[in-house]
Amino acid sequence: MTSETNMTSETNETAPWEPKIIAFLCTWCSYAGADLAGVSRFQYPPNIRIVKVPCSGRVSENMILSALKSGADGILVSGCHPGDCHFISGNMFARRRFPLLSNLLEFVGIEPGRVSFSWVSASEGEQFAEIVKTVTERVKALGPATRLIKKIDQAA
Amino acid sequence: MPTINEKLTEEIRTQAKALLANGTVAAVIGYSRGSLPMTVKPTVVRTAEDCGKLVWNSFCVLNLANYLPEVLKSVEPPRGPRDPKPEGPLAKVAVLATGCWSRNIVVQTQEHQVDPERVVVMGVASRGMVSRRKVEEQFAGREILTVEELDHDLVVKGADFEEKINRWSLVRDNCQTCTHPDPVLVDVRIGEPASERKNPNPFQQVDEIEGKSSEERWAWFTSEFSTCIRCYACRNACPLCYCPTCFVDDAKPQWVGKSLDAVDTGLFHLLRAYHCAGRCTDCGACESVCPMGINMRMLTKKLNKDVLNLYGVEAGMQPGSPLPLTTYATNDPQKFIVTEAKAVKEGV
Amino acid sequence: MPKGSVLVVGGGIAGVQAALDLANSGFLVHLVERTAAIGGKMSQLDKTFPTNDCSACILSPKLVECGRHMNINLLSLSDLVSLDGEPGNFRAVIRQRPRYVDPNKCIACGLCAEKCPKKVANDYNMGIGKRKAAYLSYPQAVPLKYAIDPAHCIWIKKPGRCGMCAKICPAGAISFDDQEKDHVLEVGSVVLAPGFSRFNPSSLDFTGYGRLPNVVTSMEFERLLSPSGPCMGHLERPSDGKEPQRIAWLQCVGSRDIHRAGNPYCSSVCCMFALKQAVISMEHAHGEFEPSIFYMDMRTHGKGFENYYNRAKEQGVRFHRARVHSIIPADDQGNLKVRYVDQQGKVNFEEFDMVVLSTGLQPYRHMIELAAMLKLELDADNFIKTDSFNPVASSRPGVYVCGAASEPKDIPQSVMEASAAAAEAGRILAPVRWSETSKKQYPMEMDIHAQPPRIGVFVCHCGINISSVVDVAAVSAYAGNLPDVVFSQTNLFTCSQDTINQMINIIKAEKLNRVVVASCSPRTHEPLFQETLRDAGLNQFLFEMANIRDQDSWVHQHEPAKATAKAIDLVRMAVARVRGEGALPYNTVPVTKSALVIGGGVSGMTAALTFADQGYPVTLIEQSDMLGGNGRKVFRNWKGDAILPYVTDLSAKVTSHPQINVKFNCEIKDVAGSVGKFSTTFSDGQSFEHGVAVMAVGGEPYKPEGKWQFLHGSNANVHTLLELDKRFIDQDASLKKIKQAVFIHCVGSRIPERPYCSRVCCTHAVDSAIKLKELNPDMDIFMLYRDIRTYGQRERLYQEARGKGIIFINYDLDRMPQVEEENGQLIVKAHDPIIDAHVTIHPDMLVLATAIQPRQQSGKNLAKFFKCAIDAQGFLLEAHMKLRPVDFATEGVFLAGLCHYPKSIEESIAQAKAAAARASIILAHDVVPAESITAEVNRAKCTGCGLCVEVCAYNAVSLDENGLSVVNTSMCKGCGNCVAGCRSDAVTLKNVGNEQIMAAVDAAFCDE
Repeated sequence: MTSETNMTSETNETAPWEPKIIAFLCTWCSYAGADLAGVSRFQYPPNIRIVKVPCSGRVSENMILSALKSGADGILVSGCHPGDCHFISGNMFARRRFPLLSNLLEFVGIEPGRVSFSWVSASEGEQFAEIVKTVTERVKALGPATRLIKKIDQAA
Repeated sequence: MPTINEKLTEEIRTQAKALLANGTVAAVIGYSRGSLPMTVKPTVVRTAEDCGKLVWNSFCVLNLANYLPEVLKSVEPPRGPRDPKPEGPLAKVAVLATGCWSRNIVVQTQEHQVDPERVVVMGVASRGMVSRRKVEEQFAGREILTVEELDHDLVVKGADFEEKINRWSLVRDNCQTCTHPDPVLVDVRIGEPASERKNPNPFQQVDEIEGKSSEERWAWFTSEFSTCIRCYACRNACPLCYCPTCFVDDAKPQWVGKSLDAVDTGLFHLLRAYHCAGRCTDCGACESVCPMGINMRMLTKKLNKDVLNLYGVEAGMQPGSPLPLTTYATNDPQKFIVTEAKAVKEGV
Repeated sequence: MPKGSVLVVGGGIAGVQAALDLANSGFLVHLVERTAAIGGKMSQLDKTFPTNDCSACILSPKLVECGRHMNINLLSLSDLVSLDGEPGNFRAVIRQRPRYVDPNKCIACGLCAEKCPKKVANDYNMGIGKRKAAYLSYPQAVPLKYAIDPAHCIWIKKPGRCGMCAKICPAGAISFDDQEKDHVLEVGSVVLAPGFSRFNPSSLDFTGYGRLPNVVTSMEFERLLSPSGPCMGHLERPSDGKEPQRIAWLQCVGSRDIHRAGNPYCSSVCCMFALKQAVISMEHAHGEFEPSIFYMDMRTHGKGFENYYNRAKEQGVRFHRARVHSIIPADDQGNLKVRYVDQQGKVNFEEFDMVVLSTGLQPYRHMIELAAMLKLELDADNFIKTDSFNPVASSRPGVYVCGAASEPKDIPQSVMEASAAAAEAGRILAPVRWSETSKKQYPMEMDIHAQPPRIGVFVCHCGINISSVVDVAAVSAYAGNLPDVVFSQTNLFTCSQDTINQMINIIKAEKLNRVVVASCSPRTHEPLFQETLRDAGLNQFLFEMANIRDQDSWVHQHEPAKATAKAIDLVRMAVARVRGEGALPYNTVPVTKSALVIGGGVSGMTAALTFADQGYPVTLIEQSDMLGGNGRKVFRNWKGDAILPYVTDLSAKVTSHPQINVKFNCEIKDVAGSVGKFSTTFSDGQSFEHGVAVMAVGGEPYKPEGKWQFLHGSNANVHTLLELDKRFIDQDASLKKIKQAVFIHCVGSRIPERPYCSRVCCTHAVDSAIKLKELNPDMDIFMLYRDIRTYGQRERLYQEARGKGIIFINYDLDRMPQVEEENGQLIVKAHDPIIDAHVTIHPDMLVLATAIQPRQQSGKNLAKFFKCAIDAQGFLLEAHMKLRPVDFATEGVFLAGLCHYPKSIEESIAQAKAAAARASIILAHDVVPAESITAEVNRAKCTGCGLCVEVCAYNAVSLDENGLSVVNTSMCKGCGNCVAGCRSDAVTLKNVGNEQIMAAVDAAFCDE
């Protein structure tokens, strides 16, 4: 199978560093938008790991900090556009909380671009792919995350 | 001629005695003299006779609102956790409150921790509390035996010295930048009301850190919090920290490790600060009690700045209105949102 | 008493949808399928437009549901041979041909087909490649049972000769003495969905079809593209297996062609079909690829189609507006030369590797025979004739028809009609609902409380959708080594009936108590797999999906190694997540058995009557003071029937119906609750409790402005189509005096601001021109058009118009018509591409075919009340463009009419009936499932700060008398806002708690 040969060539020791980005996506808009990107075959970098959550308002500061601690090179939180929340107003509360957290993180030296937020609707497959490209490229430009990461050996 | 503080102390004693004597309140929360120089002790007075203990000076750095929920509970008839609430009105408690402390009482009311009907606020305008650490730094290496307070100066005495220093220069940073010295709630006025203080930029220290590069900020953060010993004095002094189980003790998931690892202490401080977002009145208690002298107030101050700039709210300034994170506006700013248009424009 | 069962004839998507809707609303359904498996044409498609969804993937869950449904009696290899009786009490005889394989014994192992020595042309693959005489139609076939083809079986032809299958069959399922059986069924109604055939181009010699191997039909090409087709999805041309780089599509082969094919109508779907094939082929291609489409008019008149067309142009699909004269061999290598005549009449040649004939749709011969047996009237094209205002009613009472048997149409339209037919079939049977049905019993659920996790992982190939990119074997092997994973395997199609059955057995045999499926999206397939868990005796919430198709293989097509690594991560994350999940209760909400219909146009009134006739109370609200909406403004439908009398009659029925309460000048102020139990407050302060709602808020005509104004509003002789209709309705005699008239098409449609086709205006304009000709045969009429889109049988109007001498002049956006006036005299200047010259016309009247747009205000606001999605143009967005055309993603709310997309009156009627049918499924039940994933409070941790109360949009959280937080489970929707807001971690969301989410996050980083 061709994939096997590709795999060995891609994962040799000279392979460039690839970031891992956690994407918390709300079920009703952004996760559906990500599906639509797939249905429409919009290609984007394979660095995100999508975690489905009911609503962007479900995402808390400790989830974001904890993901950074675990080693995420980047985090994307995406919900419905304001006014479109399936749960009426979850994204509105999220919109109040997120900038406070991301500003605080930048304030203590977490690089701008590590933690990103977006609104992607169920019909925005192309936009989703574009945003993932942007976020991935930003994180790549920053290099591997080193701040607030708990080393595995210490955690164990 | 008595000093300002002597006059205020006298007035506090008189008013407290009256409130207790006529049965308006069952307890008064105030301060009594401490055993060391520059210290005072938060004290609950339950009889008119005890009111002579109460004092007022520039070393009242702890936020008395922190004790209010507990003292209110202490004056209720005892009952088990499943017992119904007692019939009829419950006893009241009086508490001394400056601008920031009174704002914390507002937050406690918004968060259902305090029944405002049961609180008698003895409002006293703050002249700014003195930082013991600043005084000690001035006299580094010399033992301070007494500190006497005049209206505008402190007289610091040791075994072989006596110096007079301008009081304001030793006032805590949070008090120096404070614009709301007068309480927002006053049931019993102590002393004269104070007007709003003008301050062209109360967030100057925050701005300075923001002006640094990301690397410099990270260096500042790691060095500032590197000495933390996880004693939780900051948490315990804060009237906003009242969870029965703190997030640091959560196990599933464990948000923050219990070690002194820099990441764990850093996360502890970030989360603690974030939990104060929209609620913190910059009373400075956390910093005042920190044995290691960590400026953890910078984090809450940064959040206060953003909450004010983004949502136009200062914690506790508007009794009756919701806390900023329990509400929203349809036109809340969202510049932080990544958009596809931005992606194209930036070409990244 | 009428019978509580319905006969559905035809197991394509239309029949399947009708059967499911009827069975789910309380009727026993007998589904009769002519072949050995249901699925019909849709099962043969590779992808579907305009979403490029994998056809099998979206269809398969419906087929599986049909196959497993308690109240659907599936009769394959069967035909309806007689029908007696009357509506409510029919007696049908179904003749079932022998399968020669006992379906109760067959385990679908495939050994019979493997051993069968007789090879026959594979009809599922349109004759390309071979199958055996013992066969399974296709991998996801329902029922998943092999059959023996008596026309080719050696034993059946000469008993004693072969019998290999019987010898090898481990289940002893082969039965050569299987006999034809007649089933006599007593049913209340009949729904016909016999489908359509495709035009056979062998008779058209100029195409070379049959002689030239690289000339194929579009259905053959579809099979060549399909991963389950003869080339396993690697596009190869028939002559030499080479990958074609230059492909031509020829449109209208056997459609719009009176002379050679005898099919005057347009087949409606072929333009999009060809566009889709061109775009998908481009994806398949490994190098340079040049798709070309030869067409007369591009007809992309459906929702999302015009955008698809525009994108295809951007992606490099070439379009030739030209008639192909002939196809001849270009060389002896199999290449082809297409000789065509362009618009200017010039003869051109172009060489291609392959040619695809977009063959038209036509009635099956056996359908014509069926109609004759049933004494149904056919129309001039031999399609089943339907009522002008009831598009699913045949000429025989109690017999309904849906899908392409009544006119060529696409899948969403067929699905709408299927639901509409279900509504009609169920209307008179409402009193006997649930009288013949049985109820599904699930096995006792295993109590997994004290058990350590035993996780099973199923990794899907999805044909080649996943496995062509992701190394699924490696993913499965990896998963098998994860902690607590006791079973892991790959499946070709995890959603196929056999795999589902196998999964049930595996869950039981391996004593699994958690399941992970790594395949497509939980949005489409989670319900199917959750049901599978229930059938296996597991709580359905002990389940997670890893989305390795939509969010992996499809978006990283060129990075197989990275996609595989990602799939491994996603599976590990899903395993970590499911490990911490527990069994949840199946909550329900009682259903308030009444309906709210918003909008008093034709759609709203039709929906209201459909509910009311079944006995459900309806409140119909209308923002104006009159019923009828746009229906009052249109003169006649394309079949020539006047609309106003129909609308007047409909309004009278609605206002006099005892179950319908009409509220005029009424708007919605607030909506509370959710499916089964809405409470809506109106502008008059009154409120109404209802279980379901139908949005039929209509659309409005675009008011010409800017460069599309063409003096409308300033010159009295410039009309819109509706303004002209008013003059027709008023029988304005002065119309006869007009000597010259010009129509401009696409005014405000198909432009960047409104990038969609308004669907009905071509037909409307052409019909208006014909009406003018009727009034004054000497009138000169010019139609300035971009593409004439008289889809389906509306094409006859176009032919009639041309026959009457109406002149059609093509324009494009670069050369817009110019309209000026001189002393009140209109002057229209246009460029005629055929003669390549400017023409100047001095008409007495200019008619603008203006766009239909969504209502600017009311639509959006209403959508918010019911949390319905809106598309980029402002039309309401259905749950799925192909298969859920009248549902919203929000349960309990449905849509119909112009608020969905521009459409004709009979299409609105069909959609309104469909919406009511879908809603009636809810009303037919006493309870509906409620959210199981709800918030819960750990009171030991709660501070009573009330933040959770403030952020809950559903008033589901409150502080109790002790000042601590409590959740009202029946009101909780499971959004988790309270959880994120809580500083004390005192609130959690069942199975979506921090524990489960963060386990998944952490698993992304630790390679266990």
